[in-house]
Amino acid sequence: MPNWRHDISRRLEAAGHVVDIDIVEELAHHAATEYEAARAEGLATDAATERIDALIAAWVADGGRLRHRRRLPVTVLETSPATGSAASGVRRDVRYALRLVRRKPGPALVAALTMALGVGATTVLFSVTWGVLMRPLPWLDADRLIRLAETRQGATRQMPHIMTNGSYLAWQNSPSTISGLAAYRSRTVTSTGAGEPQRIQITMTTASLFPLMQAVPQRGALFSKADEANGKVVVLSHGLWQRQFGGRIDVVGQVAHFDGEAYTIAGVMQPDFAFPERDTQAWVPYMIRPTATPDGGSWIQVFAAIARLNPGATPAQAAQEATARARSAPDPGMATMAVFGTKGASDVRAQPVLEALTSDVREALIVLLAAVGLLLVTATGNIASVQLARAATRRREFAVRAALGAGGGRLARQVLVESLIVGIAGGIAGLGIAALLHRLLPAVLPADFPRVDDIAIDWRVAAFSFAVTLSASLAFGLAPALQAGRLNLASDLKEDAGATGNRFGRSRTAMMRAVIMASQVALACVLLVGASLLIRTFVALLNADRGYDASNVLTAVLATPDGLFTAERRAQLVTETLARLRARPDVASAGVSNAVPLVPGEALMAFTLPPRPGESDPIAVQTAVRVVSPGYFDAMGIAIVEGRAFDARDTATARPVLIVNRAFARKYLPADPVGRRIPANLYERPDWEIAGIVDDILMRPRLTEPVQPELYLAYPQAPDGLGREPIFAVRADRDAERLVDVLRDTIRTQDPAATLESVMTMEDRVMGSLARPRLYATVLAGFSAFALAIAGVGLFGMLSYGVTQRSKELGVRTALGAQPRDIVRLVVGEGVLITVVGTVAGLAIALGLSTWLSAFLYGVAARDALTFTAVPGVLLLVATVASFVPARRASRMDPLSVLKGA
Amino acid sequence: MDTLARELKRGSAELLILALLNEQERHGYDLARLIGERSRGAINFHVASLYPTLYRMEDKGVIDGRWVEKAGQRRRRYYRLTPVGRKALKNHRSVWENFFEGLHLVAGIKHA
Repeated sequence: MPNWRHDISRRLEAAGHVVDIDIVEELAHHAATEYEAARAEGLATDAATERIDALIAAWVADGGRLRHRRRLPVTVLETSPATGSAASGVRRDVRYALRLVRRKPGPALVAALTMALGVGATTVLFSVTWGVLMRPLPWLDADRLIRLAETRQGATRQMPHIMTNGSYLAWQNSPSTISGLAAYRSRTVTSTGAGEPQRIQITMTTASLFPLMQAVPQRGALFSKADEANGKVVVLSHGLWQRQFGGRIDVVGQVAHFDGEAYTIAGVMQPDFAFPERDTQAWVPYMIRPTATPDGGSWIQVFAAIARLNPGATPAQAAQEATARARSAPDPGMATMAVFGTKGASDVRAQPVLEALTSDVREALIVLLAAVGLLLVTATGNIASVQLARAATRRREFAVRAALGAGGGRLARQVLVESLIVGIAGGIAGLGIAALLHRLLPAVLPADFPRVDDIAIDWRVAAFSFAVTLSASLAFGLAPALQAGRLNLASDLKEDAGATGNRFGRSRTAMMRAVIMASQVALACVLLVGASLLIRTFVALLNADRGYDASNVLTAVLATPDGLFTAERRAQLVTETLARLRARPDVASAGVSNAVPLVPGEALMAFTLPPRPGESDPIAVQTAVRVVSPGYFDAMGIAIVEGRAFDARDTATARPVLIVNRAFARKYLPADPVGRRIPANLYERPDWEIAGIVDDILMRPRLTEPVQPELYLAYPQAPDGLGREPIFAVRADRDAERLVDVLRDTIRTQDPAATLESVMTMEDRVMGSLARPRLYATVLAGFSAFALAIAGVGLFGMLSYGVTQRSKELGVRTALGAQPRDIVRLVVGEGVLITVVGTVAGLAIALGLSTWLSAFLYGVAARDALTFTAVPGVLLLVATVASFVPARRASRMDPLSVLKGA
Repeated sequence: MDTLARELKRGSAELLILALLNEQERHGYDLARLIGERSRGAINFHVASLYPTLYRMEDKGVIDGRWVEKAGQRRRRYYRLTPVGRKALKNHRSVWENFFEGLHLVAGIKHA
């Protein structure tokens, strides 16, 4: 259609008329309508246009009379009845609903609050699940990054996500499935220079990491493969550059000191690059050496490895290629044995980085998300039940409105709008609750929980929350709405709507509510069973026999880097510290070790023993090596099973002795080994004697891992000494916490360069290792408490309502001679019956689901008898209490006044 | 005669507009269409002069125009009768009533 407005305004202007745009607009509207009418008459476009042209020409001729005129504001008219009835009707419904809420806010508030808690909990769990499991990692094409995990067929120890030098080097050359491969390993170093020495985490990495991660320096350069052999260059993180080098622009080319060694600063990394961990402060070169050493020995290097898949390649294909290459690599012999406990064929697995990062929490998060889903369903059911009752009490209101001409759809919409208002109010409050809970998350989540920084309430989480709110509101609004729409005018307009019932003597509303109630009890039962199992697991973990006594023991790592401490100085420091501690009256015993339970770090060794009698194969021994001081077993409360502990006799020049744990003795030694020589050449000495056997202890957080064989050396006799980071264990006469300052002072007064880190009581370490089971148990317990409360309140509400509705029937019963006791029994019986039905269903579901939980359980069976009897007991107790109040009210009703119809 | 016809037309135009707006609010095009339709084409009101007439009537305060926007439609100017307009309509009607009466008596013309 031609643009009349433009045409009219142009032609009026050309004729010398000054006309305001309102008039032009009005004329244009007229022209357009006239044009449409002409076309509708069957005129061709040309003819129609001609007619309009003539009309405009006439206007222009009369233009002098189209004077300038004051402009009027535009009024937006309420939409016309034909298109706008639904919208204006809804607006009316909203007003009506708000009026109802104002008049009687109680039920709406309770419903909104229930909704808020349900939506809040669901939103928080979704945001955690989304942030941790699903949000893409911050690297380019992060879905093509894979973590590699090498193992050996028949391996005795699971070492997740490690790779060894042989396999790495074999794959590195012209791989077909990946475009890059990098090895890295993090360690903590003492950074010295300006100011106090600091312990920081740095990552040793092959130069290939940078192109693989597409890292770009902010300043200077990154190191290259050529730097790996020399290794004394460093790329600083943005944070370290700012903190320790004041953000100076001339930092490139200067020197940083880590563990007393000088590294030339090659560059500074971009601020947003954090790999492998958020705390990584610097990157130094890492060289992967061949398995064969120049002196003819063999050498195994263990590290983390990451690769970038070629476009189109899958992790499985990469794993296949890596495995094939690893199997063709030269075998480093006994060193492999020390790490894997077997010399079986290599297997390399590949896992997308996101999956590898979150694999330990994935299942738990999914379980908790499912649990919160159940909770939301329960909350929704509760509101649905309340709304149903409200809808039922308003049957007469609806009937009157229907009689006055409101259709069933109209009434259903009214009820739905009411539910939506309550639901949306609850949803918004729920989002607020979620935002509050979010602030607590960093404190609540265990320290080692992955991707805590990536958890946020963003638009996706908000959208999810909104969708949940909307669908829950629709769900709980639907049943009452349908009921409101399905009116029976004849019966509903009758005086006593409550008397309408089916053959069970219950109205349809009451039946629906009973079904919802039983389902709520069932869901509460499922959640309670889950929570109970997890709580029992936590208690079992807490009380598990770990082989040592964690009470009253203080532990601390003494960082004495090689560049700053000689072996002699370290030994001197340790000996002197132990002597000073032991001299104190509040110290029961003190010792030191290269490895303490729940402190990361492991030293491994492999050697062979002669064949057992009647066998021909030598025994391949794989064992952890612990170097300890006298007093260590006492301090840790580790029992000596046979023989003796180390003592002052075991000096460097004395006859070398060993202590083994029970697992070692059982696995590798003949009966009664104490006092015998071990028939092996260890550290180039053939004369090691077994002095004693100690109890097995659980070193790692996961108690289900089998105990590893352990071999203890007395530290004066250990060729490698205590290592760079000896760990003190000090047993106090009471409350180990008091010794923290004592220990710090003892070290500081001897050597300010030595730093103590990870100073913790053993009890705190145990508690820390249980942070996840504790979190899971707490969250599920919270959910189930909420579900139980909802069920209890729901039952109470339902029975109270039922008593009111059935007041006439109860009055008749009383009038006919029923005692108060009978009435109480009647009402409580109904509550108990519903609970029993719900509980039976819930127990059946819980039995089915409990196997799903078994991966999280310890010391309790998935079908734990105590849990499966206690939970029904709790539910019945709550049901009885919730039923009792309405029952008593029913029994005290005065039959006369009830029957009079008061 | 030409002058008389013009004066008659002009006078009748106002009456027609007032009468139509007395029924309900209408926009310009609607008015033009209805005048044509209701008079079965007898009164060929020149559309070009409709708007100047409307604006003049508005200035006189007998009608009131306002812009209205509805969902999915371009905005239109609606006119409605003011109280002054309602009085004017009554006045016009009696004048024309008398006029027809006279015509009937004198020339035998009957009005509908």
